[in-house]
Amino acid sequence: MSFEPKIIAFCCNWCSYAAADLAGIHRMQYPHNVRIIRLMCSGMVHPEFVMDALSQGADGVMVLGCHLGECHYRDGNYRAMDRSDMVAELLEDFGYEQERFSLTWVSSQEPDKFVKAVTEMTASIKELGPVNGEQAEVV
Amino acid sequence: MGVTTALEWLGSCSGCEIAILNIGEDLVSLITETLNIVHAPILMDHKYFGQCGEGVTLEIPEAVVGIVTGGVNNREHLEVLQEMRKKCKVLLALGTCATHGGIPALMNGQDQLESWEGIFSTVSTDPGAEIPNVEVPPPLDRVYACDEKVKIDMQLPGCPPNPELIGEVIVALAEGRVPVLPGKSVCDTCPTKREGKGMVDKVKRFINNVEFKPGTPIDEMRCLLEQGYMCMGPVTVAGCAKRGGPSCISARVPCRGCFGPVRRDGNQLLDMMNGLVSNGLDFKSVVDRRSVLRFSGAHGRLRPVKKRVARGKVK
Repeated sequence: MSFEPKIIAFCCNWCSYAAADLAGIHRMQYPHNVRIIRLMCSGMVHPEFVMDALSQGADGVMVLGCHLGECHYRDGNYRAMDRSDMVAELLEDFGYEQERFSLTWVSSQEPDKFVKAVTEMTASIKELGPVNGEQAEVV
Repeated sequence: MGVTTALEWLGSCSGCEIAILNIGEDLVSLITETLNIVHAPILMDHKYFGQCGEGVTLEIPEAVVGIVTGGVNNREHLEVLQEMRKKCKVLLALGTCATHGGIPALMNGQDQLESWEGIFSTVSTDPGAEIPNVEVPPPLDRVYACDEKVKIDMQLPGCPPNPELIGEVIVALAEGRVPVLPGKSVCDTCPTKREGKGMVDKVKRFINNVEFKPGTPIDEMRCLLEQGYMCMGPVTVAGCAKRGGPSCISARVPCRGCFGPVRRDGNQLLDMMNGLVSNGLDFKSVVDRRSVLRFSGAHGRLRPVKKRVARGKVK
């Protein structure tokens, strides 16, 4: 059976969630592997959310926010950006690959960008294999 | 007679037991009236297999309260801990090793076999040394905190734990009420001056002394994080404050995080780095980042670094 990853996408209420909504309205096709969680702002994604998702079996975590300078709360996405380097690097410390995390900017009028981001992430996670895959094989 | 109590130590340095003895004057009434200690290998003579070794199975007498210090590092520890759980009504994990892995759990950050080979057969050891396999209990795959192996009813971290809090827990148990333990961070109990963030963009190693005027009280010193030192107060649970301020900070030394995370399942490394980054500090300026988990490496927090596999071979 082919590997179908589970990907958690944290979308901000104002841009990326609206983009996902619009993608649906336009009936655009994108991989079903993504599970969207709506948040008020990408800046509220605490690194623990990401780590929790991965430790509970998600194969990848995406954070999608407004373009820089367009945050509804002025600088929330800058915070998300500051954190993202740290989160990616710390994933290695906790035994996950950096590629399991991604940060993308999508405005509410860019469903195509949302679809592209999700498709690319799914492809890259499929290549990476399941989370903690090596241990799983041993058992 | 008081409440029957069994004390037991696993992978421990006996610092927690010394902390019990450090309770001070209250200790006298505790051990003569409140408690009736029936088993404590470190403090009194009571053997696992009968006083003359006639028994064949490990036995610990029944007790209402069990106090366990140290983490679970090998099979013997595991066996003793399970026996304690069977015989004690209320089990208290005392000290950071028992609650979060403590210093021994630093081992979890390295490959175990490599470490053992490093210890027993590096170039500097005399020839003939090998990893012992008889008369030494075999190690577990990593160092565990007690609550990963058995149900623990109460946790009191600290390296060593605050004698006052040990007294509080014991008295509360005897009186049948919930003990009052601090639930906030070290910063909450820290009296240093906060003058505003944003003056530093990097954390310094503690090579030079912090800035303070000798002779002045601790509340006239500036917050050590604001001075740019890697003080782990924000991500460490309070409890060490004895004489007006957290122990290390009262000695003008940044907090090392020895009481473990604020929330029981918190992650000191992640929270500290998040705190630094959210306040505009460069997280890459932290030297040996993983050692932030030096006291809370159990619960799978600290793991050997995965060796990267070249792309394309992963499938």
